[in-house]
Amino acid sequence: MRVVIAEDAAVMRELLAQMLTMRGHHVAAVVGDADALRAAVAEHRPDVAVVDIRMPPTGTDDGLRAAVDIRREHPGTGVLLFSQYIETAYATRLLAQGAQGVGYLLKERVANLAEFTGALDRVAAGGTALDPDVVTQLAAASRRTEDLHALTDRERGVLALMAEGRSNAAIAQHLYISAGTVEKHIAAIFAKLGLTASHDHNRRVLAVVRALNSDPDG
Amino acid sequence: MSGYRPAHPGDRARAVRSLLLAPFDRRSGARVAYCLLSSVPAVAGFVVVIAVAVLLGSALTLTVLGAVPGVGLLVAGLTLARALGRLHRALARRFLGVQVVDPARVAQPHPGLVAGVVARLRDPAAWRAVAYVLVKMPLAVLGLWAVTWWLVGVVDLVAPVRRLVGQRDVDLVWPVPGGGPRLDSFGESLGAAAVGLVVLLAAPWLARAVTALDGRLVRALLGAGALEERVRDLEETRAIAVDEAADRLRRLERDLHDGAQVRLAALAMNLDMVREQLDARDRPELHRLVETARDNAVGTLAELRDLSRGLHPPVLDAGLADALATLAATSALPVELSVDLTGRPTRAIEALAYYGAAELLANVHKHSGARACRVDLRTSATALDLRVTDDGHGGAHAVRGGGIAGLVDRVRTVDGDLTVRSPGGGPTTVDIRLPLHA
Repeated sequence: MRVVIAEDAAVMRELLAQMLTMRGHHVAAVVGDADALRAAVAEHRPDVAVVDIRMPPTGTDDGLRAAVDIRREHPGTGVLLFSQYIETAYATRLLAQGAQGVGYLLKERVANLAEFTGALDRVAAGGTALDPDVVTQLAAASRRTEDLHALTDRERGVLALMAEGRSNAAIAQHLYISAGTVEKHIAAIFAKLGLTASHDHNRRVLAVVRALNSDPDG
Repeated sequence: MSGYRPAHPGDRARAVRSLLLAPFDRRSGARVAYCLLSSVPAVAGFVVVIAVAVLLGSALTLTVLGAVPGVGLLVAGLTLARALGRLHRALARRFLGVQVVDPARVAQPHPGLVAGVVARLRDPAAWRAVAYVLVKMPLAVLGLWAVTWWLVGVVDLVAPVRRLVGQRDVDLVWPVPGGGPRLDSFGESLGAAAVGLVVLLAAPWLARAVTALDGRLVRALLGAGALEERVRDLEETRAIAVDEAADRLRRLERDLHDGAQVRLAALAMNLDMVREQLDARDRPELHRLVETARDNAVGTLAELRDLSRGLHPPVLDAGLADALATLAATSALPVELSVDLTGRPTRAIEALAYYGAAELLANVHKHSGARACRVDLRTSATALDLRVTDDGHGGAHAVRGGGIAGLVDRVRTVDGDLTVRSPGGGPTTVDIRLPLHA
């Protein structure tokens, strides 16, 4: 896996590079600001970019804006955002173009290397990796809308885990239910959100995006 | 410094020279220019003020209905007086070096036509400008008269020359009304020249006296009042203090983010790398110990995050809309959020609005028994309005030492305003209005 790392704190930057290299990944570039990130992605075309949201030049949401650009201009590059804070508006903006190949994690999730690299793999493969906090916030922001009202609590829980990018088997394991039951819940979610079989392979992502986009102010 | 030195012959020579040249130096020139230029708006303003007064009088005597155009006339007259005041202030500043602070704009506490008219009728700066326009008229005449002293002086000074070139009917001219005697001989014309010299030397002192008096009146009537100046001074320093406090919290958050939080995250990551290297079967206690250390680091990071957010939520730098979105989504109650921002308030005001919303949402959750609430935020050209409404049981009021009372105090530090409407049985609406800058 070819990775570009964008993080303005040198300690974190070097440690991430070291950790990923130890795990056999190829760290193509390590940069400290949003402009250098754009340039590095254009040059190296990595599988995934690990991006801190708060970076120079403005030190606000530069990483997020670069991430949105990268997803538009280089669809082959997944973007995993990580930040000290989960902001609802940032998540909505990141996911506005679709949930494929994007991730948004709290920075401290790097303290669980196995989970962190798992999330990185999913994003690199075009999947989604959202922090449980992202899912909770987006669900809260959208809990007034009709579509999601139709879902049962259990179905909403399954949807949240789908948004985190988990497979059916992983969801089953997490909720202590059988894989068959998970499939039944997912079918019910698709039906209630009006996602017909013609969407097929995209339906998982569409369901997640539908949930996120139903945020009334997003 | 120089006052302690004994008089030097050179100093005396310089004093005599400056006395002789006084009629033609730069400051005298500026005073003459002031007397001439300011007389135009002085006369025009006087005429207008008298005209307004006469028209107003006749409008009111003719009929009670005349009161409506009368009030309009009065407002127009006061507005004009204020404008004339500005012109006179500019002239005095340019030519006399009189530095006066401009009076504050007309303060209009409530929007609307009637309130606007009342505010203009009660505007003290406009009425003081009217007073100035009235006293300025005789002063302008005095000023013009002072200017004629230069002419008179020169005319008398050249009387011998006029006789020499053959002019017969040469009179002595006095700077005061009334003609002087015919100058019959060359000797008499020399006497007239002496008079002219005296008049010319006296002219700058007269102009100086007149403009000094005018300068005092400009200061007294056209500047901001002492109290007004003090209030403005306090407002300015308060704005600095409020902005400075907000900036300091912001810097503190930034330092935490770039320092301690990064190091803790790196530490937690390092610990997990160590944990992975340890074989859990070989050294189970050590494995557990490292795991606990990592979890503690992560826990500290979470606490630090909450602390930082309490200092200054960094998302506020991206604007109130983004910050409130997270606040609403992380609230314990379902929150419907509506944001309509046109202008951008200062950072301190944004922070105040943000923490106001946070405090009110926490209150709703703790005390109201509400099942849902709304947060509306909008800005106009001058103010920011935040409204939090809940469907709870009502009966909310500010308790001393309570959350709302504390919020009222904080809102007041920037001349903001908080109102609670909470009838028994609900619903409760809290409105916060803040200026766009401290």
